[in-house]
Amino acid sequence: MDTFKTGNNHYQVEAGRPLLVNGERQDLTFLLSTTMLKLKGEPRVLATLQDVTSLKRDEARRKGALSRLKRSNEDLEQFAFVASHDLQEPLRMIASYVDLLAERYNDRFDDDGREFINFALEGAERMQALTDDLLRYSRLDGSGKGFQLVDAGQCLDAALDNLRLNIQETGAKVTRDKIPEIKADGSHLTQLFQNLIGNAIKFHGKEPPQIHVGVGETASEWEFSVADNGIGISPDQHERIFLIFQRLHARGKYPGTGIGLATSRRIAEQHGGRIWVESAPGKGSRFFFTIAKEL
Amino acid sequence: MQESSPVNILLVEDNPADVRLTREALKQCTLINSMDVVMDGEAAMRYLSREGEFVEAPRPDLILLDLNLPLKSGQEVLAEIRQDKSLRAIPVIVLTNSKSQQNILKNYSLYCNCYVIKPVRFDQYVGAVKAIEEFWFSVASLPKLN
Repeated sequence: MDTFKTGNNHYQVEAGRPLLVNGERQDLTFLLSTTMLKLKGEPRVLATLQDVTSLKRDEARRKGALSRLKRSNEDLEQFAFVASHDLQEPLRMIASYVDLLAERYNDRFDDDGREFINFALEGAERMQALTDDLLRYSRLDGSGKGFQLVDAGQCLDAALDNLRLNIQETGAKVTRDKIPEIKADGSHLTQLFQNLIGNAIKFHGKEPPQIHVGVGETASEWEFSVADNGIGISPDQHERIFLIFQRLHARGKYPGTGIGLATSRRIAEQHGGRIWVESAPGKGSRFFFTIAKEL
Repeated sequence: MQESSPVNILLVEDNPADVRLTREALKQCTLINSMDVVMDGEAAMRYLSREGEFVEAPRPDLILLDLNLPLKSGQEVLAEIRQDKSLRAIPVIVLTNSKSQQNILKNYSLYCNCYVIKPVRFDQYVGAVKAIEEFWFSVASLPKLN
C-alpha cells in the first residue's frame, strides 16, 4: 500500500486504486492529465492526478435540483389543469340551478332576492372566465411540437377575426407592417396577438382605438410590437402586469381575469423570446415581443 | 311518421344534478317521451345488452353519454358500442364538460355522432338539448332497431 499527500488530503492507494482519504473509505473521482515534455533532452511524461470528487458531487447535486425543479413545475401545471378543469362542473351546477331558480320562481322573489340572484350569477360567470383562462394557460405546453413555418399575418388575421365584435363596438382601426412568415406555433401566436390587441381595444381612451402592429428583426430574432393610443400604464407597473392574476383596474371598469399577459409572456418565452412594454399614463402603450428565428 | 312512435333515449350520467337538469330541459321538448338513466359505464353496457335488471330495457333511439363516469369511462362505453354489431347503429351524443381538443378528436375518432360541451347557463343547456332533439328526431331519419 502506497500513501501520498496533496493539499490537506492524505490518500492511501492499493494497486493503483485509492481506498482511503484521511483514513476514511470514499468513492473518489480523479482527473488524470498527461503532458509530454523533455527534461535535459530526455523524453518524459508529466502526469497530473486531480481529485475532482467534490466537483462531481456538486454537479450531481445541481442536476438533481434541476430535475426536482422541473418535476415540481410539471406538477404545478398539472395541478392548474386539474383544478381549473374539475372546478367547471360544480360551477356549472351553481350557475344552472340559480338560473332555474330565477326562471321558475322569479315572481316569488322580491327586489332584494332578485339582486342576490344576480350577484350569484355574476360570481359564477366570473369564475367561469377564470377557470377558462387558467385552463388555457396550463394547456400551453412548451414541447415545441407545434412549431412550423407559419404566415404570421394569417395568425394576426385570425386574432382580428376573433376580436371582430370588440373592434366593431369600439370602432377600432388596426394597421400593420408587412408581416413575415416565421417559425412558430400558429395557434399560440394567434392567441398572443389576440391578447395584446384585445387589451389595446379594452383599455382605450376617449378616442376610438388606433392600433398598429409593427415588425422588426435582428440576425437572431423577430421583434413584433402592438402600439395603441389607449390609457397607458404607469412605469412602476410595467413588470407586474405580466404576472398571473395581476390587475390594475377595478373589475367594474375593465373586466378581466389577469391571466392574459401572463399567458402572452409564456407564449413568447416558449418561442425563445421576451415580452415587455413601453408606456406612460395617457401616452398609449407599445407592447413588444420577440420570437427566436432558430427554434 | 316518427312522431307517432315512442322515442326512448338513454342518458348515461353519474351526476344527479345533471340528470335532473337534463330532465328539466326535456320538459321543454315535445318529441322525446321517455328517458332512462344509468349512472355508470358498466350499467350502461348491461342496459344495452339487456342483462340483469335491464332484461326489459328498450333499445334506445339515441344515447346521451357523459365521459367522466365511474367503473367504465364514457370513451370505453362508446368504443364497446361501436364494436358491437347489434348496437353500433345507435346514434351516440357525447355530452360532457371537457373542452379539450384531444377529447373531441378522440371521441369523433371512436365514431361518436356528435360531441356537445355542456353549456354553463340553464337556458343554453335547454337550447342544446332542444337542438339535439330537433335534429335527431325531426331533421334526421333514424334506423329501426330491435
